[in-house]
Amino acid sequence: MSNAISLTRVTKQFNGTLAVDDLSLTVPTGSIYGFIGPNGSGKTTTLRMIMHILLPDRGEIEVLGSRDTAAARDRVGYLPEERGLYKKMTIRRLLRYYGRLKGATLANIDASIEDWMRRMELPGLLDRQIETLSKGMSQKVQFISAVVSNPSLLILDEPFSGLDPVNAQVLKDAVLEMRQRGATVVFSTHDMTTAERMCDRIFMIFRGRKVLDGSLESIQDQYGADTVRIRTSTGLAALTDMPEIESVNDFGQMQDVRLQGDPQAFLARLAARTSVYHFEVTRPSLQDIFVRIARP
Amino acid sequence: MHKTLIVAQSEFTTLVKTKAFLISVILMPLVMGGSIMLVRATRDATDSKDRTFALVDHTGVIAEPLKAVAALYNSSTPSAIEGVLARKGPRFIPLEIKPGDRDPDALRLELSNRVRRQELFAFVEVPPEILDPASGATIRYYSDHPSYNALPQWLRATINAVVLNERFRQASVDRALVVRLTKQAPIDERGLFERGSSGGVKAAEEVSVARAIGIPLAALVLMYMTIMTSAPQLLNSVIEEKMSRISEVLVGSITPFELMMGKLMGGAAASTLLSVIYIAGGLIVAQYWGGYATAITPAIVGWFLLFLMLSLCIFGSIFIAIGAACNDLKDSQNMMTPVMLLVMVPVFTAGSVMRAPDGTLATILSLVPTAAPFLMLLRISLQPGPPLWQIVLSLTLMAGTALTVVWAAAKIFRTGLLMQGKSATFAEMFRWVMAK
Repeated sequence: MSNAISLTRVTKQFNGTLAVDDLSLTVPTGSIYGFIGPNGSGKTTTLRMIMHILLPDRGEIEVLGSRDTAAARDRVGYLPEERGLYKKMTIRRLLRYYGRLKGATLANIDASIEDWMRRMELPGLLDRQIETLSKGMSQKVQFISAVVSNPSLLILDEPFSGLDPVNAQVLKDAVLEMRQRGATVVFSTHDMTTAERMCDRIFMIFRGRKVLDGSLESIQDQYGADTVRIRTSTGLAALTDMPEIESVNDFGQMQDVRLQGDPQAFLARLAARTSVYHFEVTRPSLQDIFVRIARP
Repeated sequence: MHKTLIVAQSEFTTLVKTKAFLISVILMPLVMGGSIMLVRATRDATDSKDRTFALVDHTGVIAEPLKAVAALYNSSTPSAIEGVLARKGPRFIPLEIKPGDRDPDALRLELSNRVRRQELFAFVEVPPEILDPASGATIRYYSDHPSYNALPQWLRATINAVVLNERFRQASVDRALVVRLTKQAPIDERGLFERGSSGGVKAAEEVSVARAIGIPLAALVLMYMTIMTSAPQLLNSVIEEKMSRISEVLVGSITPFELMMGKLMGGAAASTLLSVIYIAGGLIVAQYWGGYATAITPAIVGWFLLFLMLSLCIFGSIFIAIGAACNDLKDSQNMMTPVMLLVMVPVFTAGSVMRAPDGTLATILSLVPTAAPFLMLLRISLQPGPPLWQIVLSLTLMAGTALTVVWAAAKIFRTGLLMQGKSATFAEMFRWVMAK
């Protein structure tokens, strides 16, 4: 399988601060790739370099088979972290403008606009001014602006942030639709559940360096089966003074417990203390792995 | 280039739909034209109240003839006195006050109080020595309406005429003969003879103030207005895109240089449209008011558009760069101040250039690239115009400056466009320009 994106030893500094440090990464064509990492870890800088908005200080970036990422730009749709729409424009004029800047013809753009407005549940709003739209509507229009030219690669910087569950679901369906059409999708997110459920592969960047890269299973394999999910009659109180517990992620009704020793021995000790309603040996969630890496 | 044109088209559409542009195109001519019409329609009607003034004649020989002149004037009979036109405004009614033996200051105070009580509009005192030309005596006019000059002007002409008549009478000289003999020979100002298209000699045309001064001045004002309408709009557009985070979307599709050039081209197209509308309007007005449409020659229009394009490259790029370097309108207004001064300098010096268009000051200033669009254009519009080499030199210097400014602005634009937080300083902008 060819790669939609290939980064080789890419480094970027801002005023002496390393934003991205010696990063190598390949994104297979047709995959959905999730970028995760704490705020300020280098996700947006990496995405901007892929978009050729920023140039790397060192290293090489290849996008859709071209080293000159500017040449591939027309085939790449981009939704930046900070949404940018002209308030005084109508939706139709804005989408036509953004589509034409991507090199699409007006006929193709208009057909695409009709299709995506229907999918995004925004029918009959084409001649509305942007400033009259709700936040959710604006975000959906921004998404359409990224896909209106039918790109081969779609880069979305935190596409689901700030959306209510209904609009978030509409947008997730739209991302899957793009993959269905053959596009490669890269998106950054702070929502680990979304990353776990949607992404074929996940990449985590921390302090400018790659710390995770692979499928969810392979990442979880790296971190072993040292986690048990429990539900007891006494909740968190049952877990005090147990030296084999390394950390507890408390959800109130349930707890994810990371162990150093044998899970069966832990179950025996726990059952002696309290009534155990649920006990499941599991692999650490992406959330757990993220916290393990990023916690100071 | 294709994407630059798409940006230019969008920018043009946005610019011509802005309130500033619509006001410039529709409202401003309406307001200006309306004001002129209003002034013309009402100038004779606004001042119609009779002005009664006291006349204290210490000579004893001025009051009577002056009253006769006033009676003629008030009956709207054309006057033979030079400088006194037929009455269109109020009547001027003299009220003679015999000074007698009264204390002069007490009389002046009493008349001043009558003026304050609005029984009189003003009072005039003609001293006894006024008939002696060697005395240096002056006629005194007292009023609490210092800005009203119609009555003093009328008095200056009429009293002087009466005083001169009296002086001639006392010297036993026939004044009518003196006036006839001392009548000045007028100068008829004309252009130069030239050979016409049919081969014959074309007579020199009479010099018209409208042609000689009106057209150059109009060209200067139009250039100033067009630049001041368009360039700040480009700044606003960049700041809006930056503050709304639109810039990042755009530079994901187009290079910053293409984006900036698209904006410049859109701004230039909007300015050209504005200018063409004004020039067309100017042609109609010039033709209607005095048949001067031929004074707006295709050459002047051509030079105007050429200088406009180059000046928009310079000022548009500067304003775009400032927009990219700033994070709010307030900061941008502070940074615009020095640029605005650059634009104002030629406007302030235009008077000197008009007085001596071939002088050293005019020559030097019209070669300065930021002043050339105003002052070289002004010199071209003034007859006989500057030598061709000066025009070519000024265009070359402007073109070089435009290229440099566009290049520097592109570097500032690229760096500043994605910067958030505090606005850049001039020093930082300079560093961005110098960075590789």
